[in-house]
Amino acid sequence: MNNTILSITIALIFGIGTFLILRRDIIKIIIGLSLISHAVNMLIVSTGVFDGEKAPIITDVHHGSGSGIIFTDKLSEGILAPIAPSGVETPFVDPLVQALVLTAIVISLATTAFILILAYRIHEEYGTTDVRKLRRLWG
Amino acid sequence: MNIQEHLPILVVAIPILMSALMIMLRSRPALQKTLNIIVSASILLMSIILLLQVWNSGIQVYEVGEWGKYGIVLVADLLGSGMVVLSSGISLLALIYSLDYIEGKSLNTTYHSLFNLLVAGLNGTFLTGDIFNMFVFSEILLLSSCGLVVASENGGVTKVSDKMEATFKYLILNIIGSMVMLIAVASLYATMGTLNMADLSVKIATLSDAGTMPWHIYFIALLFIIVFGNKAAIFPLHYWLPDVHPTAPSPISAMLSGVMIKVGAYGILRVYFLVFKDALFLLQPIIILLALITIAIGSIAAVGQKDVKRLLAYSSVSQIGYVFLGIGMGTAYALAASLVYLVNHAIAKSMLFLTSGGIIHHAGTRDMHQMGGMAKSAPLMSSMFLIGAMSIAGLPPLGGFIAKFVLFDAAMLGEYYLPVLIGFAFAVFTIFYMFRAWLLMFWGEARDSKKYGPYPSHGLSPMITVPIIILAAAVLILGVYSEPLIALSSEIANQLLDPQPYINAVLGGSVR
Repeated sequence: MNNTILSITIALIFGIGTFLILRRDIIKIIIGLSLISHAVNMLIVSTGVFDGEKAPIITDVHHGSGSGIIFTDKLSEGILAPIAPSGVETPFVDPLVQALVLTAIVISLATTAFILILAYRIHEEYGTTDVRKLRRLWG
Repeated sequence: MNIQEHLPILVVAIPILMSALMIMLRSRPALQKTLNIIVSASILLMSIILLLQVWNSGIQVYEVGEWGKYGIVLVADLLGSGMVVLSSGISLLALIYSLDYIEGKSLNTTYHSLFNLLVAGLNGTFLTGDIFNMFVFSEILLLSSCGLVVASENGGVTKVSDKMEATFKYLILNIIGSMVMLIAVASLYATMGTLNMADLSVKIATLSDAGTMPWHIYFIALLFIIVFGNKAAIFPLHYWLPDVHPTAPSPISAMLSGVMIKVGAYGILRVYFLVFKDALFLLQPIIILLALITIAIGSIAAVGQKDVKRLLAYSSVSQIGYVFLGIGMGTAYALAASLVYLVNHAIAKSMLFLTSGGIIHHAGTRDMHQMGGMAKSAPLMSSMFLIGAMSIAGLPPLGGFIAKFVLFDAAMLGEYYLPVLIGFAFAVFTIFYMFRAWLLMFWGEARDSKKYGPYPSHGLSPMITVPIIILAAAVLILGVYSEPLIALSSEIANQLLDPQPYINAVLGGSVR
């Protein structure tokens, strides 16, 4: 149930973002872009663990053997690293997706900062924020 | 501790460190210039040593943080290290060129720093073995190149407002492309539970052998066409390129057209032939179709241009189509041919963009109809442009001929008769538009240089001419003595079609 609501939310944010990107105003386009990047970030987080079906990289079962950190990756049994069959107990949330999202957020911060400054300069040069007026290169 | 083991991380880390240092050195321009040239030259040297090492002793894997396949790995195989040699060679020459070409204030404050970040992004993209890390590096690449496109050149040939408009288009489209890549990477991770490309390859192959491959793997593979097609300016996504490449300063145009659109071709080669090789049968017809449309559109549009750099940009669109044609055919010979084509186009097109910068500085305008008769007043530029034009058009003594010859030969052997026909027809178009440009600029009535255009003439210094001559010599050498390049490309193609050594090299090490 939670997953369904999450998917619908992501889809809605994505849709709103796409709609805003197709507007004429530069500021609306930028808001649309950041909405889409938030939707993508939520998508990444949603690939982590919520309902206990997927195991993280480190599992309790294997603490006894070896040096303490064991990566359970048994292709013959159909176990693909953090994704395990539903029988396996999983007390952790996959930590990798959080790191991915952190990186993606930082990158989108940088691009948004750059593109806002660019929008300001475009407003200075062209005296408008309407993208249809930006057609000096078409000549 | 052997320094040679650390080469893969050094060619990425040194430019990043230098970019921070360059910002701090902005009050001392002379030191900044010398240091940056020394660093670029040493990176070129390191990349050549890396390529030789890989050629002699096989694929070299560098585990950053020693986490094995669960951390980030840098993998220097022949394709990756070869691309690093290509990009660092072109970036060294472009850097030397830009010292005299870029306006002093812009050069001192941000240019050196951003240029180093661009080099770091390129090397990182080519060497990484982790698909999310590839996204991060391509984002570094995107932002630093945006900063470089708006750098202003001496003489103010391009208006600032044009640069803003082009950068806006470039940035918006490429951010959307990056978002698509992020979606693809996230879906891949959710399905396979790993981000390491070698590991992904093994897991997808296992699932495919067991017949339990999830159907959405095909859709994820299709998403990567959008991602890398956007970077390489393939047909439905090509329209940003003819605005961005001409408005950038000439050395940056050379970097963008010479190396950055090749990132798309590299990504397709790496991701499809390593990770999605079971979905290739579905993707190859799509790539061939898009490549043919790209060739046609680029050539036809280039015929009607009057701006010299815009013509070269449309020519880039058309030429990258040929590279993708070879990738789409997918046999060992065709892949080798497309790599030969890639290298030849990278060198010839970056040389042409550098030459066009010299021409624009001489004439003071970008409009070819206002030029004319410059063969006498600028003999060096006219001969260099002729060499580049002949190479792009595929005339015999030069590199472009070898590239087109092996590509069409591979296509004939693979019995792709219709693609060969279309490719050949538009190769004739290429000859037409390149020579039309040359005739318009250098033959005919010599005009009074004051009438050329509104911009002040800047003149040519050795800083501008020497890189062009070096690249022209490279074009000629690749045409006359092309065996080493063809041998290297065939070896790369064999490695691409049989990724087992790559997988063994990455996954062979034990995890602690």
